Amino acid sequence: MFKQKTLEETKASARRSAGSSSSAAFYNNPNIRAIFYQILLVFGLGYFFYSIISNVLSNMEATGIKTGFSFLGASAGYDVLMSLISFESTDTYGRIFVVGFLNTLLVSAIGIFFATLLGFIFGVARFSHNWLIRQVAMIYVEIFRNIPLLLQVFFWYFAVLSALPSARQSLSLGEAIFLNVRGLYLPKMVGGDLFWVAEVALGAAIVGIFVLRRWAKKRQDETGQQFPVLNTSIAMVVGLPVLALILTGMPFEMEYPALKGFNYFGGITVIPELMALAIALSVYTGAFIAEAVRAGVQAIPHGQTEAARSIGLKEKKIMQLIIVPQAMRVIVPLLNSEYQSLVKNSTLAAAIGYPDLFNVFVGTALNQTGQAIETIFMTIIVYFVVNMVISFLMNRFNNAVALVSR
Amino acid sequence: MKEFQSIPARPAPDQTVGPVAWMRENLFSNIPNSVVTLAIIAFVLYYIPPIVDWAFLSANWSGTTEDACVKEGACWVFVNAWSYQFFYGTYPVEEVWRINLMIVLLLIVIGMSFTLPKHYRMKASIAAWLILPLVGMAVLYGGWGGLEVVSTDLWGGFTLNVFMAAASIIVAFPFSFLWALGRRSEMPFIRSISVIFIEFFRGVPVLSLFFMGSVMLPLFFSEGTNVDKLIRVWLVLIFFMSGYMAEVFRGGFAAVPSGQYEAADSVGLSYWQKILLIILPQVIKISMPNILATFVMLFKNTTFLLIIGIPEVVQTLQTALANSYWLGGHALEGYLFVFLVFWASCFGMSLLSRRIERQMNTEKRD
Repeated sequence: MFKQKTLEETKASARRSAGSSSSAAFYNNPNIRAIFYQILLVFGLGYFFYSIISNVLSNMEATGIKTGFSFLGASAGYDVLMSLISFESTDTYGRIFVVGFLNTLLVSAIGIFFATLLGFIFGVARFSHNWLIRQVAMIYVEIFRNIPLLLQVFFWYFAVLSALPSARQSLSLGEAIFLNVRGLYLPKMVGGDLFWVAEVALGAAIVGIFVLRRWAKKRQDETGQQFPVLNTSIAMVVGLPVLALILTGMPFEMEYPALKGFNYFGGITVIPELMALAIALSVYTGAFIAEAVRAGVQAIPHGQTEAARSIGLKEKKIMQLIIVPQAMRVIVPLLNSEYQSLVKNSTLAAAIGYPDLFNVFVGTALNQTGQAIETIFMTIIVYFVVNMVISFLMNRFNNAVALVSR
Repeated sequence: MKEFQSIPARPAPDQTVGPVAWMRENLFSNIPNSVVTLAIIAFVLYYIPPIVDWAFLSANWSGTTEDACVKEGACWVFVNAWSYQFFYGTYPVEEVWRINLMIVLLLIVIGMSFTLPKHYRMKASIAAWLILPLVGMAVLYGGWGGLEVVSTDLWGGFTLNVFMAAASIIVAFPFSFLWALGRRSEMPFIRSISVIFIEFFRGVPVLSLFFMGSVMLPLFFSEGTNVDKLIRVWLVLIFFMSGYMAEVFRGGFAAVPSGQYEAADSVGLSYWQKILLIILPQVIKISMPNILATFVMLFKNTTFLLIIGIPEVVQTLQTALANSYWLGGHALEGYLFVFLVFWASCFGMSLLSRRIERQMNTEKRD
């Protein structure tokens, strides 16, 4: 009874205090203040954007710059150095946009692949038993992380690649791969009539790997027996297409680059701009990824390794089953941001003239049309979208490696 | 009567201590390891002597023109002859004391923020930092008290990289702090504006921001206003930096224990008293290593200014390499020199940030 009464009293006093606070000045009410501040901000921002837009319009009128996206359909009138799809100087700005976009994707993909490779090699090398290897890995990371990327791009382009011999004195590897000051020349595989059989075989091999992995996991869950999935997969991917080629009688020929006049023709040409940019991006980002890998491995308590040893796992299996899966939880989010900054940094193509999206669109197209706002925003949106796709994929991957909480 | 005599400890077996054992353990523990060790040693022995010979033994050190480079090795004369431009750009020689003065002031302020007595260190150094960019602009540009005007076209070289980075991060500091607070705010509109701002400036390539600064920004000002290109780029860098720093501060705010916020509320401090007196000092301390890392990133990114034609150090190097009196191919020497300058600054800062981190750890322990 006594307890009940005090509760009633507290409630009543609470009600009284609430009533008294509502009778205080309304401008001391935090909710009203919040609304007031936000309205103030809306008006401030509104005025800011209004004045910017009206300034832009009057400035454009004064200088006679057109607005809108009609320039995308106009003929560009200039050529680009490298294009993955056919392009002539009479094609439109819209097509230039696509060409640049594909070139950006190409250099980013090459950069991401090699940066990951370098990063994992040197990151794991920091934990080598060999003192010299540890030192080499440390020197790599500390040197390339601390030098501006632009300098590295210039270094590869102006100091290394332009010091290569001329076309006539090319460095060659087995008379098939040539490297000279004009670029890297690789042989190309040209498919004949029955070449599709090999392509189908490759596709079947890739599908087969997924089926095999599922089957092997199920069998291990049920019986505990392990199946060498990795070796079988490699054998399938390499073996099936080769088998198909042999059965159909080698329906392809190799197109080797050949010296005609002053340069090599035929095969695949990798221009030095692409090489310099890809090397610099891979080496620079690789150093950051190596640090991420080191952080990931270091985050795992040593007890994990000891426990794994005590139940008799081999060193290789400890790495594969205990260390790497746990380290990935730390590494993947860091990889995500490194990949995104690699894509953003690929805009440095503008410094050496590799025709990526930024260079052909914000560089040349802006210069020719004067439509700064349209070109810059179109480009920015592309980089946003690419980074969002990377982020989405890496988050999917992260969910796959994340600890399943019970 | 027998007296107990302890037998002296035997020395450890030869094969577990000493340099030989260390080498067995760390260099030749098994066959693949030994092969790798020998390969690395062979590589070093093969490549290092020619490099040392090129860079030091048969290098050309003295002289003023390209003709002085007679020996086979590196032509450091090139770096020597252009060193003024590499550091100061085209700033007039008789006015160069102003740049040196600003460097000294910068160093003094950095020193101050670590050595002043603790009870007013924070207030004094924050004030000094915020005044510094204004003083810098006034001293470097001139036009008052008998100082000659040095137009911004003449500014350049490595000191421009340093000043642009420093001035941007200093001014970005208060803004990024506000953006971080905005992102933590409970007011939905303020929060979403902050998120959009931060993610925009973190998400776009910094080069496109520079293009915005140089090509798009003039359209935003009302007709007839002519803002200097360097100032426009500075503005853009401030926005860029406040996006990144806001995220650093957000981490800092989250790392301050919630008890600190609650304690400040319970003693009746107002919102701004709580933030400025209790939370901010702790946030700055916690975020110091990340602030330095962000600064290193910004500092490296100032080289991108070359793309929009601002004569920072790499642009100066390119100009020097194209000079008609120095056509003998000194790219390697030039790049190595600029590498070294940047590497020393960035590596120094990363060592500093590691030291601060370690100091903070020990402070927590006792």
